[in-house]
Amino acid sequence: MTAITNDFPRDHSLAEPRDLDLGGKSGGRALKNSIATFVMWAAFAIAVIPLVWILVTVAVKGGHLILDSTWWTNSQQGVTARREGGGAVHAIQGTLIQGLVTALISVPIGVLTAVYLVEYGRGRFARTVSFMVDILTGVPSIVAGLFIYAVFVNAFGFQRSGIFVCFALTLLMIPVVVRSTEEMLKLVPNELREAAYALGVPKWKTIFSVVLPTAFSGIITGVLLGLARVMGETAPLLILGPYTKAIATDLFGGNMATLPTMINQDRDQAVTLPAYDRIWAAALTLILLILLLNLLGRLASRFSKV
Amino acid sequence: MQTIHRRRAAVLLVAAGSLALAGCGSDNNTASSSSSSASGSTNSSSTSGETSSTDAAACPSGTLNAEGSSAQKNAFEEVVTAYNEKCPDLTINYNPTGSGTGIKQFNAGQVDFAGSDSALKTEEKDGVIEVDAAKKRCESDAWNLPMVIGPIAVAYNLDGVDKLVLDAATLAAIFQGEITTWNDPKIAALNDGVTLPSTPIKPFFRSDDSGTTENFTKYLKAAGGDAWAGEPAKSWTGKGEGKEKSSGVADAVKATAGGITYVELSYAKDNALGMAQIDNGSGAVELTSESIGKFIATATADGEGNDLRLKLDYATKEAGAYPIGLVTYEIVCSVNKDAEKQNQIKSFLSFFASSDAQTLIEEIGYAPLPAEVQSKVAAAVEALS
Repeated sequence: MTAITNDFPRDHSLAEPRDLDLGGKSGGRALKNSIATFVMWAAFAIAVIPLVWILVTVAVKGGHLILDSTWWTNSQQGVTARREGGGAVHAIQGTLIQGLVTALISVPIGVLTAVYLVEYGRGRFARTVSFMVDILTGVPSIVAGLFIYAVFVNAFGFQRSGIFVCFALTLLMIPVVVRSTEEMLKLVPNELREAAYALGVPKWKTIFSVVLPTAFSGIITGVLLGLARVMGETAPLLILGPYTKAIATDLFGGNMATLPTMINQDRDQAVTLPAYDRIWAAALTLILLILLLNLLGRLASRFSKV
Repeated sequence: MQTIHRRRAAVLLVAAGSLALAGCGSDNNTASSSSSSASGSTNSSSTSGETSSTDAAACPSGTLNAEGSSAQKNAFEEVVTAYNEKCPDLTINYNPTGSGTGIKQFNAGQVDFAGSDSALKTEEKDGVIEVDAAKKRCESDAWNLPMVIGPIAVAYNLDGVDKLVLDAATLAAIFQGEITTWNDPKIAALNDGVTLPSTPIKPFFRSDDSGTTENFTKYLKAAGGDAWAGEPAKSWTGKGEGKEKSSGVADAVKATAGGITYVELSYAKDNALGMAQIDNGSGAVELTSESIGKFIATATADGEGNDLRLKLDYATKEAGAYPIGLVTYEIVCSVNKDAEKQNQIKSFLSFFASSDAQTLIEEIGYAPLPAEVQSKVAAAVEALS
């Protein structure tokens, strides 16, 4: 209030009238500006340091192994912690198979739920569904794992196997798919729907042929990002998917290796043993796999909308 | 619409591609493994006459799942690899989730047999009597078969001290925080002629429940008498700083001047830590396969019939016996409803109990079963049906 004067040139530096005589630039403002800029860059650097650190550590310690072709062609069968050699193909394919099956289960459920919420859902029931999806988003992965374990292994007496891992991961993936699909469907302009209705197209056909194709690339992005999230999950795998060193493709019986369980299996080894390097290599492989999925997701989102 | 179809095709292509990639792996790692220590075992297992009884008759195919003690994981893996050089069609998985978990999974019918640092308990714990639960699961008695003996090293990190002698009473005092510096008179009394620095002692213990802790405290209690106040248990009751798993305590001692811990021999070896000699009452004993062998020779079988609980005499005063070690068991059903499964278990365990396998694990820091125990285990495996 005190800064209000009748002196015209002063009014660009109302807050600090004392600095007036320093000419056109305000030292205080410049200082604040540099401080703010510095803080911003410092925060950025702090955020980036651990990321770069992790990537460099993992790449340095595990990089040499994944450059070896056997890493991508062989399993760990017959390789003990003390021996060199072997690969991660059993774990890579386990992670891919379980991810794929998880996606096959959760994508239809998730997309249809989102369609319901955006196109049909009105009133209390829709709000409840939406709320439930929010709750599901916040369920910790270990709870999902224990829930499936309690239901299928404890109550029904099944053996632990890959399919139950997929069930647990589905619980984690559905809310991601629902939320991202919902956002994408909301972005579809209402004019498109109205134009379809005006031509006499029924609602279901409008959704199927106009709304979903328009949002297609966005949905794919969401699915891939959701997949990237669940493929890195560890807790349900530790509970439901015991590790094996051999290649296993049977989701319905027996152990199945995945990259997270492969990392876990040998993490208790002494630093000097070959198994220790393989842990880092498996971690690097997992990071690369998820990076690839994320890139695919970004790529899909680049496609122009119909 | 065409672009949409193209995109769909692209997505399908990615999916199909990942499946295709998944289809072309190989389980055959013999070429790479035979270049290392495996070659020795290949020779011994193929030339030995002793295993011939199990050779041609029993090379079953299938999958065996076992779970349990992490202390025997390395031995187990080594033996599985050697076994698979002989019988490649039986896949054997071992998940080192801990003895307690292994027994629970076994009793719940999730795994075919369990590995454990201690025999099935006969008294109630958490509302379950392990022996009875196992009996219910098997619909027959469950047997404890001792398979692997793991020496426990007292590992320390002290610059300039290559030879250190300790005894049970001193160890108990160190791990209860009563002795706090390395040049304490009690330690000096055991180490004539060794210049001990005044570095503070930093004991490390296993923060997770561990069979190693249980057996180490059994030793302290048995040999140290009143010096150790706590009761032997899987969880640590002494002083010090907790670290997770064997690798955790080994790493901590390696990184800390003045650090001391108890850890399986292989971890102490792999991290090149100093290992204390133990005075069992008849002089200082270095940890070697010979000295641990003398200790194990004092073990007595404690179970009924083929249920072979092994009892170690931690308080032994026999000259040249290194008195700290643990026995790990395989826990199996004596009679299995699934005859095929039992055949697989028999085939593998009889190899595990053979001298070939026992010599093999000796090379990586375990101790072989004493001959008399070994023959009893072999007989028990034969009796599985």
